[in-house]
Amino acid sequence: MDSSELYHVKQQFILGAYQSLVDLPLPSPNSPDYTPTLIYKARAHLALDDPEAALALLPESEDVALRAVAALARYLRDLCVEIEGEDGGARARWLVRVLAGTAFARAGEVEEALESLAAGSNRENLEAVAVTVQVYLALHRPDLARKELDGAKRWAEDDLLLQLIEASVSLVTGADAYADCHAFYTEQLANPSLSAPHLLTARGVARILQGEIPAARSDLEEVQTRDAETLAALVVAAGLSGQKGSEAEAEQLWGQLSTQYPSFPMVKDVAQKAELFDELAARFEVPPLAVAAA
Amino acid sequence: MSVMLTKFESKSNRVKGLAFHPTQPLLAASLHNGSVQLWNYRMGVLVDRFDEHEGPVRAVAIHPSRALLVTGGDDYKIKVWDIRPQNRRCLFTLHGHLDYVRTVQFHHEMPWILSCSDDQTIRIWNSTSRNCIAILTGHSHYVMSAQFHPKEDLIVSASQDQTVRVWDISGLRKNTPNSAPGTFDTFDNFSTVKYVLEGHDRGVNFATFHPTLPLIVSAADDRQIKIWRMSETKAWEVDSCRGHFNNVSTALFHPKHELIVSCGEDKTVRVWDLTKRSAVQTFRREHDRFWVLAAHPELNLFAAGHDNGLIVFKLERERPAFAMHGDMLYYVRDKYVRSYDINTGSDIGLLSVRKFGSPYVPPRTLSYNPAEKAVVLTISSDNGLFELTALPKDAVGEVKDSSTEGKRGSGQAAIFVARNRFAVLNKTSQLIEVRDLSNSVVKSIKPPVQTNEIFYGGTASLILSSPTSVVLYDIQQQKTIAEITTPPVKYVVWSADGSLVALLSKHTITIANKNFTQHTLIHETIRIKSGAWDDSGVFVYSTLNHIKYCLAQGDHGVICTLDNPVYLTRVKGKTVHCLDRSARPRTITIDPTEYRFKLALLRNNYEEMLHIIRTSNLLGQSIIAYLQQKGFPEIALHFVQDKNTRFDLAIECGNLDVAFETAKSINRPECWERLAQQALKQGNHKIVEKAYQQTKNFDRLSFLYLATGSADKLSKMQKIADSRGDPMSRFHNALYAGDVMGRIAVLRDVGLYPLAYLTAKTNGLEEIALEILEAAGLTEADVDDVPVYGTSTLKTPPVVTPTTDLNWPSISSGESFFDRALANGNLEAGADVPYVNGHDTSGAAASAALDAWAKEEEEDLEADADGWDLDVGGEEAEPDAVAEEEAEEAVELGPGASPGVSELELWARNSPFAGDHVAAGSFESAMQLLHRQFGVVNFVELKSLFVSTYRSAHVYLSPLASLPPLQLHVRRNPSESAASRVLPVAVKTLTSVRSELSEGFRAVSGNRLAEAQVVFRASLHALLLVPIASDSEAKEWRDLVTMAREYLLGVSVELERRRVNQEEPENVRRNLELAAYFTHCQLQPAHLQIALRSAIGAFAKANNHATAAKFARRLLELNPDPKIVAQARQRIAAGDRNPRNAVEISYDEFTEFEICAASYTPIYKGSPAVRCPYTDVAYLPQFKGQLDSLVQLTEIGAPSSGLPAPRS
Repeated sequence: MDSSELYHVKQQFILGAYQSLVDLPLPSPNSPDYTPTLIYKARAHLALDDPEAALALLPESEDVALRAVAALARYLRDLCVEIEGEDGGARARWLVRVLAGTAFARAGEVEEALESLAAGSNRENLEAVAVTVQVYLALHRPDLARKELDGAKRWAEDDLLLQLIEASVSLVTGADAYADCHAFYTEQLANPSLSAPHLLTARGVARILQGEIPAARSDLEEVQTRDAETLAALVVAAGLSGQKGSEAEAEQLWGQLSTQYPSFPMVKDVAQKAELFDELAARFEVPPLAVAAA
Repeated sequence: MSVMLTKFESKSNRVKGLAFHPTQPLLAASLHNGSVQLWNYRMGVLVDRFDEHEGPVRAVAIHPSRALLVTGGDDYKIKVWDIRPQNRRCLFTLHGHLDYVRTVQFHHEMPWILSCSDDQTIRIWNSTSRNCIAILTGHSHYVMSAQFHPKEDLIVSASQDQTVRVWDISGLRKNTPNSAPGTFDTFDNFSTVKYVLEGHDRGVNFATFHPTLPLIVSAADDRQIKIWRMSETKAWEVDSCRGHFNNVSTALFHPKHELIVSCGEDKTVRVWDLTKRSAVQTFRREHDRFWVLAAHPELNLFAAGHDNGLIVFKLERERPAFAMHGDMLYYVRDKYVRSYDINTGSDIGLLSVRKFGSPYVPPRTLSYNPAEKAVVLTISSDNGLFELTALPKDAVGEVKDSSTEGKRGSGQAAIFVARNRFAVLNKTSQLIEVRDLSNSVVKSIKPPVQTNEIFYGGTASLILSSPTSVVLYDIQQQKTIAEITTPPVKYVVWSADGSLVALLSKHTITIANKNFTQHTLIHETIRIKSGAWDDSGVFVYSTLNHIKYCLAQGDHGVICTLDNPVYLTRVKGKTVHCLDRSARPRTITIDPTEYRFKLALLRNNYEEMLHIIRTSNLLGQSIIAYLQQKGFPEIALHFVQDKNTRFDLAIECGNLDVAFETAKSINRPECWERLAQQALKQGNHKIVEKAYQQTKNFDRLSFLYLATGSADKLSKMQKIADSRGDPMSRFHNALYAGDVMGRIAVLRDVGLYPLAYLTAKTNGLEEIALEILEAAGLTEADVDDVPVYGTSTLKTPPVVTPTTDLNWPSISSGESFFDRALANGNLEAGADVPYVNGHDTSGAAASAALDAWAKEEEEDLEADADGWDLDVGGEEAEPDAVAEEEAEEAVELGPGASPGVSELELWARNSPFAGDHVAAGSFESAMQLLHRQFGVVNFVELKSLFVSTYRSAHVYLSPLASLPPLQLHVRRNPSESAASRVLPVAVKTLTSVRSELSEGFRAVSGNRLAEAQVVFRASLHALLLVPIASDSEAKEWRDLVTMAREYLLGVSVELERRRVNQEEPENVRRNLELAAYFTHCQLQPAHLQIALRSAIGAFAKANNHATAAKFARRLLELNPDPKIVAQARQRIAAGDRNPRNAVEISYDEFTEFEICAASYTPIYKGSPAVRCPYTDVAYLPQFKGQLDSLVQLTEIGAPSSGLPAPRS
């Protein structure tokens, strides 16, 4: 059982309160929580797309988990992966797997990712399940994601992470009109012990999906630090609001998003579609405009 | 003439005289027993009998143009008969002959009847005055025959005095003598014997003129037939035909060919060659002496009378030998093989076959080999011959004769069976020889059945026709493939694609498929002559007097009637190509509507049916009866105008709406009753109610209200009953409504006090009970012997389900295609091809099925990875295919998961609307849809719309650290998550477009026209991507398109006017025209006022006061505010003062017009216009194919399918 401090750390990490994690002071190095906290902190740095900070944080260590995080950090920097399966605690092994899976998933190596996550045979580690589920969802296999989730429900406690997984599945499948994810994020937002802008964004997204555009916009506008996802969601909300001038607003937000985060998947995707459009439109022969001969 | 084809035969007393009707298939026969018969030889029925002569009747003739028959008998009388079917009777009798009358004849143009008699005279009678007008004397014995010349004023007679005489009667025509009786003597002055022909050694029985040549043929008891020639001045014997071995009764010239036909007491009919005077053909009867012979004036048809009846016969087959190859007809006419192109009509002689077989016999069959361009002909002379000849490559120069290089042999039937093989049937030896092109036998086959005919049966197969069946026979394996029992098959016709074959017998048609596994038989009472397949798979055939059709399943019907038989060669659309009896190609135009309709019905091709319904206005009772009989009353309903039939049909198919409508218009009690019954059956109590109301069926109505629990209606019924004063009805209604007071009141009103009292008592209404007693003049003491009943527990039944306002739900009977198509009234929608979207070419149904299946998979979570592997083709998945097989369960959740179907694909698959495809990122299919539906070609304008729509339909969220965010898809209906129904969010909706439009309206009002133009154009762009969910939305969508279009057009016109005004201020005319056109755009009244006021101003300024006043009047109709009214009145006044126009402009406000959106000129109603496939705005025809200038998206005049129907 984790100490309450570690639990809180973990909770913050899971719910995406990365910034507050980063800002969190480390416990005493002698504390048993030191290493796990350090790892979460480093991962929070990574989640914020700051591998340099993570590396700086991590000492050269024999701890295989720490090395894995370092490797992921390097991977995210260098795009290279090297993990040697070495001994360590079960927990460390799973962390290695999760991180490896994450790395593979990012590289698009679905098969390797699922393999390292022991997809389908995992009976212990929810984090691995979470990554597995997300990989499945990205593959448009909500059926398999749901199966993995149902499997996990059998052995896992009603954990926060489990709820999160459920929420993600709900976000994709839209079962019960997105009730699960909306409820989950609303509940977590009401959690007084932490505040994460990510949660607001997530609820905003859930509300967009539910078709409650004005509510979604108010959520999203509440987000203080707008990351790429928030901006993207704002673009969509503006585009769907159907109000006067919202189009211009959407374009303005879009401009902001595409300059600020040119590598965000949505930016890339839309740019690609725009190119596709030009290519396709050129296939149609446009006759001369009908103009009255003077 | 190897055969004399008997067409009809009858048994009777000895036949002494015969006459053909010139146009109808009628034959008059006079008998030795005194009867005159009128036969229809085609149908084989005795039409009538005339039995007024006493003794044998030898003479009979039919009038060449009128319905008259003349007979002469041994009773010396000549009788003239009316043979019209309705009044057959003897018109008058001519008396004068003093002995047997031998022959009679009508003159071809004068009202004359010619007769000859044993009294040695020939008489001419005027049938109008009914007098004898001439007596020709000179013969010294019985006059056996007398005939008019077909053209000249001559008569030829034959007599037992051994002479044939030619008489000149031209004098008779010049001065018609007086008709007073007893003045015969004078006649001889102008009817003189011209020639006396002597040469026969015995009495002459018959003599007649040649129809065209100056020839006479005579038949005599000296067993000879003599041919005589005459000139202006003399006549002489040419030759004799010897061969009869007893008295020759009659000899005739063949009306068409150079032949003589004769008959005699030697029991033979003989045919002679006129030029060679040689016998061509002899037909012998066993016991019957022939007494008379007659030729049909037009046709190749003869009749001969003998001791026991008569025969009608043809001398040769008239069916021309022909074969069809594609659109080329190869046929034989006058012993020449010819080709006829049915498309161009070019008809060329290719080959002479004059020397093939008997010169008098035309070839019987022709088989064409397209690969070798060769023909095999058969002929029936000489016991059957065949000849194989190659046709010349080019038909130039002299047509060669087949005898030079044709390869011949004996056989009764010969057909090509392969490119280089043909089969020949020898009927007597029952052997089929397969020969190669050099005519050497490569194979001999003993057919398995007695074979009379062989036909092509598909490659290397034969159809063998036996007396009781047809056999499909494989030549190579020498075995029977199939056999169908039929009457003897005479002709075989293959359909163009070779899938069906029609086997024609005399009175049956068997339609079989190509391996004879399925077949239907059709019976015909009239002889079947020929047939040909329509391209759509309908068999069109001809009988003696009809062209008919039959469908493969056996339905058949008449297409049209025929005067004379024809031989069908090809059916192309409405044109039937055929050969007539003289082998000349002809075409007959038919109406294929009926069979096309039936075919469409059979194939459930509703589009085609609808098309037929719309494009043809016939479809009479027969089709209605047909539909009803075939179980399609609901379709029949659509054709029926007649109210009663319509009502019957509507009842039959349970279409209560229609039944109700028609019942209203018929408005007869029995209709209402039937409607009520049917509606009751279907649980539609509202219609029942209406029907009962119509028939004033109050009792049932009340009960209905009780049954449906309609309390307020029951109370109304009570009131009605009160006003009707019908106590029984009042009581009923009170009972139904649970109205105790009402019941008591009724009972009291009718004086049933005891019942009223008890009712009151049992319902605890003591006071009323007392009142009743009082009214009855009794006290309680008087009724103390009445037993006390407990309080009534009866209550009106409670309403469990309020059915008053709802009808019993009925399964929608699958709204028929017709209901929809006819209700919408637009054929275009009906004919629309079912939508197939860009991704899934297997069509909507298939993809729906796929989705349903996919959903199933999703539910039971037994997803088979392969099943999902639709077309994503994940590379990662492939290496694991083996592993997957090894450990299915593990691998399923393991690393081997292949990508599934993304939501994007589902969206694209689930919707026919471009907007949804755009949101799904499937720009390609979206563009194709827009192109197909609305003719959009210029997509550049839509780019930002596409991109923003796509962008607005997807959000990104990463639930887990460091993983790439998930792409989430915004759905239209968040509560819908089934894969087959998910749809993307509607980025552009009708509401959003409407708000855009209202912005445009504000811009118009605010005179920001350029801005308005942009807005309206953008709205029209946006409307393209609006998905529609229902028919009402579709209508709204169309209205919005129309509205935006009108505004855009109006604004564009006005902008153009302003440009003209500024750039060419001297062009006042154009300025005014545009101002005038602007007022004709369909704007809202507020905006129309602006347009009108602007026009008034412009016209007034240009001194076109008359038109300005007209605009002002239009303005007044819009009820503008008072200030404007005042101005308008001023204008009208100005116009009245000065009703002239200074500038003449092209503007005719009296004719409806549309404005060409490119040139801004009017297109008046009725003038040609092309349209924008999207907005339907009109353009002058010259702009066809160009980019529409209004919305700048579509190609003007391009075909388009329009807004697709929403999927439910």
